[in-house]
Amino acid sequence: MSVTDIVFILTAIVTVGSAVVVVVSRSLIYSVFSLLFTFFGVAVLYVFLGADFLAGAQVLIYVGGILVLLLFGVMLTHRLYNLNLTTERFQPVAGTLIAAAVFASISLAAFKTKWKLVGERELEPTTQQIGEAFLSSYLLPFEIASVLLLVALIGAAMLVRRRTDV
Amino acid sequence: MNLGNLDSLTFFRPELILLGGILLVVISDIALKGLRNLINPLLTLAALLLALFYTLQTDHGSAMTLFEGMLALDNFALFFKVFLLVAGILVLLGSLHSEELASVHQGEFHALLLAVTLGMLLMANSAHLVMLYLSLELVSLTSYVMVGYLRSDRLSNEASMKYILFGAVSTGAMLYGFSLLYGMTGSLDLFAIRDALLAQEVVGFNQVTLVLVVVLTTAGFGFKTAAVPFHFWCPDVYTGAPTPVTAFLSVAPKAAGFAILVRFFLGGLSQPAGEQWAFISGIDWPMVLMVVSVMTMSLGNIAALTQNNLKRMLAYSSIAHAGYILMGVVLLTGTGLKAMLVYLFVYLFMNLGAFFVVTVIFNSEKTFELEDYNGMFRRSPFLAVAMSIFLLSLIGIPPFAGFLGKLYIFGAVIDQGLYWFALVGALNAAVAAFYYMRVMKHMILENDDRPPTPLRISTLNRALLVLLLVPNILLIVFWTPIDRWAANSITLFGGL
Repeated sequence: MSVTDIVFILTAIVTVGSAVVVVVSRSLIYSVFSLLFTFFGVAVLYVFLGADFLAGAQVLIYVGGILVLLLFGVMLTHRLYNLNLTTERFQPVAGTLIAAAVFASISLAAFKTKWKLVGERELEPTTQQIGEAFLSSYLLPFEIASVLLLVALIGAAMLVRRRTDV
Repeated sequence: MNLGNLDSLTFFRPELILLGGILLVVISDIALKGLRNLINPLLTLAALLLALFYTLQTDHGSAMTLFEGMLALDNFALFFKVFLLVAGILVLLGSLHSEELASVHQGEFHALLLAVTLGMLLMANSAHLVMLYLSLELVSLTSYVMVGYLRSDRLSNEASMKYILFGAVSTGAMLYGFSLLYGMTGSLDLFAIRDALLAQEVVGFNQVTLVLVVVLTTAGFGFKTAAVPFHFWCPDVYTGAPTPVTAFLSVAPKAAGFAILVRFFLGGLSQPAGEQWAFISGIDWPMVLMVVSVMTMSLGNIAALTQNNLKRMLAYSSIAHAGYILMGVVLLTGTGLKAMLVYLFVYLFMNLGAFFVVTVIFNSEKTFELEDYNGMFRRSPFLAVAMSIFLLSLIGIPPFAGFLGKLYIFGAVIDQGLYWFALVGALNAAVAAFYYMRVMKHMILENDDRPPTPLRISTLNRALLVLLLVPNILLIVFWTPIDRWAANSITLFGGL
């Protein structure tokens, strides 16, 4: 087992383990903090795939932006501990069966499908390629994404406006 | 023919106009405080009409792709663009005199209406998985905001929240399906995906994985079209949203969802074979969709039977109609696709009509309960007759337009020798007749003890209802243009 393998396995354990904590923890604070490790783990997985820009963006946006926002949100809630976050309808048998079926089909698909492989690639920075793609073949999605952000902005402004301010 | 970024702009005018409209409405909302309530609707209407004008003007010769293969421009896309713009215009007119929306600030509403229309036009055109996802997300995100537009209304907030949660899950599933497809073919372009699948021959476990892809992506499209089992959001969202928004959701994003579904399955996972399509061997997606179709119409109709809230009943009825429309897709024939287009076109007028009657009655009565519709015929004969025509049309009783839609769909199904499938559809139509007739019974036959006070309807709403009644009554006579238009519109890029 090479060093890379060991690092990969460790990352995988941390990512999946912290994701489990996010779901099962009874305290919102613990959930949010373990989400930090999940996000970092995913960033490391991107590095393993040779996607350097994506890894950087993952850290900047998810860890730096979304997680901090979540933390603020959690800090502002009244009750931090012993929250009962489960719904009234709890169906352990059906839930477990469906989860097992989804897990089995997805992992079988991952291992047994004949994927289209590109073979070994030399590691090189992807930033330039991404930039060029955004301004050539992916120009339209790039622009439409900004319309999407505009709509999100309008929606957010609408939601926070004071009720009297008509 | 594939056009580059700059050359594509000539064919992109409708979308550019809508984009300009969004910005103008946002600016006028801030800058023209005194006049905005007058100017914003006019600006929105102008943008939609202008976009419709340029869409009708579009002469693309043969089918081609725009923006380096991101969008496909073909007759099929043009049909949906015209359809969606007409739906946008009708909903805008219907929202002007709605008491529900009058209580809140409307500036954003018009900007959002334009944005969601833009997203739907792109949905009808998308030929690339990135574009497909992005346009779907633009429509979804805008719909979430529009559903929650009545901020002081608890139901509206709850509806918006449910919509977001279900939307996030189904989009996630769809994206996972896309990623599997990308892993197998190494491409995001629908036509390149098809070529790659044809070249490598789908054998062994790849068949199972592709079924997984079909199921996962159907989750995304099924969410937009409100097909069972991805319909759970639908009754609550339709009940909670402002009625004009509900009317819009039940027609336009549903149609766009069907456009994208056809584009994905016929464009990406099938190949033209003579007069019809053949699914790429190993991916029996029509079977999956056939099951979805039967479940959708049966569950929708049966659940609608016991509803006493008009909006909720119409929500279940719109689920059932999604099932009928799906019948046209799974046949893989030109006739089937044409039947689907005719049905959608007819559905636009009958369903919007029914929802507008509900809006108008809510304006003065503040209720959606069936009980409160008692004696409506004595209070406003016009409304009761209009509602009856829309409902009879939804059942599919001649001589109203709905009959035409059902005729085309069932005819196409029988053409393929799928008698059991047609029988399921016919049984469903019979069940549906019961709950539609029930509304008519309450409006016309049952009277309450109160003296019949006449119901006030604004002139604009009256005119709009007449506008919606005309196609419902006259289409059965003048159906040739629709037939020809639909027959023309089944040409897909890379298809027949």
